[in-house]
Amino acid sequence: MISDRIKSNLTNELRRSLLAKVGIVLFVSILLMGLFAPVLATHNPHEQGHSDEAGASYPPLGLTDEITIAQDGERVSHTVEGTSEHVLGTNNVGQDIYSRFLYGARTSLLVGLSGTLLATAIGVPVGLTAGYFGGRVDDGLMRIADIMLAFPSLVLALALMGAFGRGTVGIPDPIVAAGFADGMPETITFPGMVTVVVALVTWVWFARVARGEAMAIRNEEYVKAARSLGASHATILRKHVLPNSLTPIIVLATIQVAAIILLESSLSYLGFSGTTLSWGYEIQRGHDVMRNQWWVATVPGIGIVLSVIGVNLLGDWLRDALDPNIEGEGAGGAG
Amino acid sequence: MAFGKFLIRRLLQGVFVIWGVVTITFALRALSPGDPVNLIAGQVPDQSTRDQIRQDLGLDQPMYVQYFDYLGNLLTGNLGYSYNQRRAVNDIIAQHFAATVELAVAATIVAVVIAIPLGVVSATRRDQPADYAATFGSLVGISTPNFWLGIMLILIVAMQVGVFPTSGRGIAFHEAMYNLFRYGYVLDLLSWLSYITLPAITLGTYFTALITRLTRSGMIDELGKPYVTATEAKGLPRTLVRYKHVLRNTLIPIITVLGLQLGTLMGGAVITEEVFNWPGLGQMFITSLRNGDWPVVQGIVLFIAVAFVVINILVDALYARLNPQVTDE
Amino acid sequence: MTEEILRVEELKTRFFTDEGQVNAVDGVDLSIDRGDTYGIVGESGSGKSVTARSIIDLIEPPGEITDGEIWYREPDLAAAIGDDYPDAIDGDRIDLLRIPPSVRRSLRGSNFSMIFQDPQSSFNPTITVGEQIAEAVEVQRRASANPRSTRARSEQYTLTSMILGSMFSSRRYVSPESRERAIELLELVGIPDPIERADQYPHEYSGGMLQRAMIAQALAGEPDVLIADEPTTALDVTIQAQILDLLDELQAEMGMTILLITHNLGVVARMCNRVGVMYAGEIVERGTLEDVFDDYVHPYTAGLLGSVPDMEGGGGRLQPISGNVPSLLDHEMGDRCHFADRCPKAMEDCLNHPPEYPASGSDHHAVRCVLAETGYNDGRALPDDYFDGTDRPAGDKHVGPDDRDEDSDDERQHPPAETTGGEHQ
Repeated sequence: MISDRIKSNLTNELRRSLLAKVGIVLFVSILLMGLFAPVLATHNPHEQGHSDEAGASYPPLGLTDEITIAQDGERVSHTVEGTSEHVLGTNNVGQDIYSRFLYGARTSLLVGLSGTLLATAIGVPVGLTAGYFGGRVDDGLMRIADIMLAFPSLVLALALMGAFGRGTVGIPDPIVAAGFADGMPETITFPGMVTVVVALVTWVWFARVARGEAMAIRNEEYVKAARSLGASHATILRKHVLPNSLTPIIVLATIQVAAIILLESSLSYLGFSGTTLSWGYEIQRGHDVMRNQWWVATVPGIGIVLSVIGVNLLGDWLRDALDPNIEGEGAGGAG
Repeated sequence: MAFGKFLIRRLLQGVFVIWGVVTITFALRALSPGDPVNLIAGQVPDQSTRDQIRQDLGLDQPMYVQYFDYLGNLLTGNLGYSYNQRRAVNDIIAQHFAATVELAVAATIVAVVIAIPLGVVSATRRDQPADYAATFGSLVGISTPNFWLGIMLILIVAMQVGVFPTSGRGIAFHEAMYNLFRYGYVLDLLSWLSYITLPAITLGTYFTALITRLTRSGMIDELGKPYVTATEAKGLPRTLVRYKHVLRNTLIPIITVLGLQLGTLMGGAVITEEVFNWPGLGQMFITSLRNGDWPVVQGIVLFIAVAFVVINILVDALYARLNPQVTDE
Repeated sequence: MTEEILRVEELKTRFFTDEGQVNAVDGVDLSIDRGDTYGIVGESGSGKSVTARSIIDLIEPPGEITDGEIWYREPDLAAAIGDDYPDAIDGDRIDLLRIPPSVRRSLRGSNFSMIFQDPQSSFNPTITVGEQIAEAVEVQRRASANPRSTRARSEQYTLTSMILGSMFSSRRYVSPESRERAIELLELVGIPDPIERADQYPHEYSGGMLQRAMIAQALAGEPDVLIADEPTTALDVTIQAQILDLLDELQAEMGMTILLITHNLGVVARMCNRVGVMYAGEIVERGTLEDVFDDYVHPYTAGLLGSVPDMEGGGGRLQPISGNVPSLLDHEMGDRCHFADRCPKAMEDCLNHPPEYPASGSDHHAVRCVLAETGYNDGRALPDDYFDGTDRPAGDKHVGPDDRDEDSDDERQHPPAETTGGEHQ
């Protein structure tokens, strides 16, 4: 389905654009970190108590932190030095931030990718059908889209989480099960409800784009020809309409991965997530202790920014190379 | 008149949208676990008291009756009664909406004032250092979660400089203005400014980045159109061509995008208010949601939806005025 | 005797694109007399539009005029700026390529003006036609209010003026007098109800009416030279004739010089007394109308004329000649006659780039073809398949007359190369 022309457009654009290369490097790095988190992690991310003898959290390696502690009934100044044991320091309950960073990448990507996939799976069939048949189905879809637009995506997502709860699914971690990473968590906590909710909030963008494509393709000569040769609507949708509307859908999906990563982190930050191994949750924790341990909130934020930049750059690359002619639609992140 | 028809159609659409939003939030409340009576009655275990409360709230009625009762109340302007604040939702919204509007307007002003010149510079000095800086800056801007940005601003600006409070709202804008004009008291306004600056930047950054990108790409498109060459050929001053012709035509479609992004702005306000402990609707929304106080949640969502619909009708009217081709369609 | 108002020598305009350097105009010579109508004719992509835009200074990056001289006879200007730029002055003529951009810019509208191919896209869709014409009038009014020497520096229109203008009507750029004049101009070009029409937007006009309005706009500055780039191509045949009549009338009335860019030989025959035929960035044959139409030498001219069914009818359209559209990429342009690969009379001599030879007919007749010098010699002819697949990568083949319209769309946008510039992000 990927023609030579598309391939050459992609490679030409990649050769031309430095930012596209940066995007690929960023995205692949984060992806690898997430995939191999158990192997790359130095500590079990849930394990508490990594503090120095005075009970203070470690700052990142190379930094020192001046704190005041009570000793023998007196308040004395105490200096904590970063240690190579915890390169990015530890948080306020003594967990290793580097390891939690890796596991956070996993959650962000898991929700970002599976949420996008689910939103595509809901939105594209609805949009294609509405656009292809037009009439009442189409009117209905557009009215639903109007309603969704009036609902801020974060507000709707929060309301859905409030109503449905924070269900998660435990999946055995294959890397740990295979014995490559002893002492790491044996299950991946997949925030299933968050994934469903972000898909429910974003599917309408896919429906809109798919609808627009289907409306354009339905009037093409080859579709009319196929119809007059007796092809059924289902066949035409599957064989002609879907393949020809893939380009804008892929570009939109890329942008939506970024938007969903931001949305997931916002939900976690506000405490509406099913897992504590999330960058947003970690930032919430860091917010509480920012006056003393600034690094707790800082590190996971950098993770979010870099992965969202990476995905956005991929999106820009695809958009510039494939020129799918979609506007800034759907780019509305949780921001 | 064509415009009257347009307005009526948009109003009807708006009513439908608001009905949809109301219905969805009602359904969510119906689906949500937890018994509101626990919220209200608190420690009182007495079953007859509980039944009394349930009956007073109409919670013993079938769901469809509750739904139509709710719609009926909405039509009379009654948004219901909070489960655990012992106040009418109308009062809660009235008390908090000004803070949110202030924040949203300030963020929009920050965004527009920075983004449009940045976009223009970026488009007219394409592939020069200024363009690269603006493009990179806006990329970071749309990729930064605003709660983290807020925390970083508190860490880096508020805690180092000391001028900007790290949380709270201080004085309301209208009070500050009243004191300024009534008593010539400037400090209140400065205090207001010191409180709102960081939240406004936090909320405005995403929009600054978004508008910069839209202005840049829109202006580049517009600059490539034949009429620009034709206008240049007339010998008009370059600034006149750029601003009166090109920038104007670039901004007309951007206005519509901004109207549609109002939802994102409100979503951002929820987070920003939480970060800065800003006493607006967003913070109230989160608190109520955590408490399962659905009447307040529903009321705030409804308020946002109405604001969205009204502002977008205004935006469309403005668009039709600015773009003469629209009325003919 | 008539005097020469514009003389272009060895003009070279290049576009520096990702694919390489495009020689859109490659050494063009032109000489235009005051009050004449000079036609440049050629296929799409031959560089005729870029030549026109180079003269009025509308070349934008990645395009650039890299070489040549454009001598414009204007005694007032020569006297006014002679002291500042002595190099650029020769008697009462000025070399437009040697004066600073601000001075060149000040010539737009009042000395040179231009009408474009597609009136609908050449007006700003969100501003009334009257206002847009009034802007052009205002340029001229402000110019004549200032002495020549300071005119270039008088462009004091800033963002502040713009903001003030949007708040106070007295600070607007366009004055009420200019609006009045715009209505007179609309009347002059034959638009009925000009007062009401002035307040309408471009999409409320028909194509022909809008082209009239564009002519009114071009006349606002009472220019010496009017450049008309395919002024009738986008219009119906009946409207085309009306527009040409209007141009004729106005030229007679105002004594303008017209440089007409067209691919339509019927239009050339009807309007022009001098003609230049362009191919691959060069003028391959030029002279009086009779020289080119009756005494042509260049096989390309012959090919063009051979395909015109009825020149007087106005419907005569230039048909493509078989073969490849010439590539204008520098590294693909060999040092030979660029037409040789499509030429039925290509000879071994054609493998060297030909200079311009004088040809029979008037003194002005010149041809860039060895045939003007030597005549055709069957013995030296190149074999038919000489250029097949070897010389340069083939461009698009001309498949039939229908693809001409698509090509001219490209050209309206700008030179073909510019669209490949792409957005760097």
